[in-house]
Amino acid sequence: MSSADIEIKKLKKVYYKDKMEIPVLAGLDLSISAGEFVALMGPSGSGKSTLLHLIGGLDTATAGSVRVGESLLETMSEAQLTSWRSRHVGFIFQMYHLVPVLTAAQNVELPLLLFKMKSSERKERVKTALTIVGLGDRMDHRPNQLSGGQEQRVAIARAIVTDPDVILADEPTGDLDAKTSEEILNLLNLLNEEFGKTILMVTHDPKAAAHAKKTVHLEKGQLEREEFSNRQPMAAAR
Amino acid sequence: MALPLSYNWRNLFVRRTTTALTILVIAAVVGVLSWMLGFWTALSGSLSFAQDQHKLIVLRQASTSETNSAIPPEESNKLSQLDREVALDPTSGQPLKSPEMIVQVSLPRMSDGGRTRANVAVRGLTDDGFKVHRNVRIIEGRAFQQGQLEVIVGESISRQFIGLKMGDTLDLGYSGNRGYKIVGVFSAGGAPMESEVWGPLTTLMNAYQRNAYSSVVLRLDDKFNAADVIRKVEGPTIQLTAQTEAQYWDAQAKNVRTYLFIVSGLVGVMCVAAAFSIANTMYSSVAARSREFAMLRTIGFSGRAIMVSIMIEAVFLSVIGGLLGCAGAYIYLQIMGRTKDMFGASTFTTMAFEISMTPMIVVYSLGAVTLVGLLGALTPGIRAAKIRVVEALREA
Repeated sequence: MSSADIEIKKLKKVYYKDKMEIPVLAGLDLSISAGEFVALMGPSGSGKSTLLHLIGGLDTATAGSVRVGESLLETMSEAQLTSWRSRHVGFIFQMYHLVPVLTAAQNVELPLLLFKMKSSERKERVKTALTIVGLGDRMDHRPNQLSGGQEQRVAIARAIVTDPDVILADEPTGDLDAKTSEEILNLLNLLNEEFGKTILMVTHDPKAAAHAKKTVHLEKGQLEREEFSNRQPMAAAR
Repeated sequence: MALPLSYNWRNLFVRRTTTALTILVIAAVVGVLSWMLGFWTALSGSLSFAQDQHKLIVLRQASTSETNSAIPPEESNKLSQLDREVALDPTSGQPLKSPEMIVQVSLPRMSDGGRTRANVAVRGLTDDGFKVHRNVRIIEGRAFQQGQLEVIVGESISRQFIGLKMGDTLDLGYSGNRGYKIVGVFSAGGAPMESEVWGPLTTLMNAYQRNAYSSVVLRLDDKFNAADVIRKVEGPTIQLTAQTEAQYWDAQAKNVRTYLFIVSGLVGVMCVAAAFSIANTMYSSVAARSREFAMLRTIGFSGRAIMVSIMIEAVFLSVIGGLLGCAGAYIYLQIMGRTKDMFGASTFTTMAFEISMTPMIVVYSLGAVTLVGLLGALTPGIRAAKIRVVEALREA
């Protein structure tokens, strides 16, 4: 089990469209402790997803610094970032992004193919990850044979199978009904509380944000405010 | 680390119609390509058996083939000036010279049940002919006897024409009314002579009212260089022309070479079309999977791994199409017959050879189409590798 803190300093991101400057993040400072579950909220265009992409090394900042654990992302090349992502970050997307021609197990196995690992060990890890998300009995199902909630569980299993330090989730419940959303959020709580994962989740939904320990509100690329939840840990709730 | 092959394989079947059409295009290209390679191999094989550098075919000056050459016996006597250069018969001690006469007869083809006919060369020669044409041996029956109405037939032609089996009678002569019994079948080690009928020189010359030989074939002493002897033959004292066996048959294959050159051009154009077809298929596949590639890049796969993956899918397409094409060409040859004939550029006679789908041809065809596949997938592969991850992830 591994976890990492995140330190963001004076982070700026400007996009250019037809020679027009579009500032998205305007000198943002943010600290997230290791093992924290943080929800990122804010209106559309406030820079939530951009921040997530920058922390995940999918995009590079215009200025400022992003440190995840020991890694300073602005000092890394694209190839280094690609390799770093595979070892340190697990991604969960709103639309799941599963490969339709592969089974659940094969989808979960994908990130492990980047590591030198025996096939038997890979299979064992895949089985463990799918069991954690409650799909141990759906290993050989293709995405089109699964419900939306089950697809997102497979995506979560894919995100945790490499035991990453940080899980970045972009609207993970945005495409799910209320009941299934609750199940997915409980799963994220489990990963945070029992496996100690640092989780950063972008959401529009206050009910989803209530599952996090801290909610960070962004407005026009700036930190507007931080709220701390009084949510009971799952074990205590049980 | 590459993506699993099962990922590439299954992706082919996501867009079934496009995949099937592309495979069909590739199969057609490979079918023609493998047939053409088979043709080339058979022709080259046949000509490679006629590479005797010490067998000289002497013709009348300015003649290009035995068919349009005539050397009266008195002129052929001038060749005695070459007695030093010509090898000697170990038994008789005489120079190895074979005066020969050639005519064409029209015979029914076996491949279409005799509906069409083709010219076959009938060669008259003395017993010395067997000593000059060293690679000829009787494989069935016996040799013809001088003065008898007997002939022997080449192994290759006996399979291709009706009425050329052992024991059959072949009508030959100026008016075609004398029956010559087929008493033997000969092999020439695959050389073009296997496409001929051989009979006694004097009998055939009488039958066709000829008083001149078509050619005189000489076996040179190994010590002498063919080019030097040719210069002497064409010199002022002899005034004939000569070619080695290799030069002679190479010139006769000119028609087929031109034909195959045109077919090669056609295959080249088809290969370009196949490359475009593969490119089109892979482009549509890449366009439909941009979010998938973005996800793969997100979880740590490199652009190169994704490009390789696209290339592998193209290779799968190519190999499936290639195997189908080779199988199609094989079935075509089995149904339509493997024996093919070539019309000599200036002999006006047929040279028969068998086209085979050898493992080498399959390997070459698959190799060529794999290359076409890789070329076709190159630009879609680069496009997939250079996908803008963040933008692709945001696509609805």
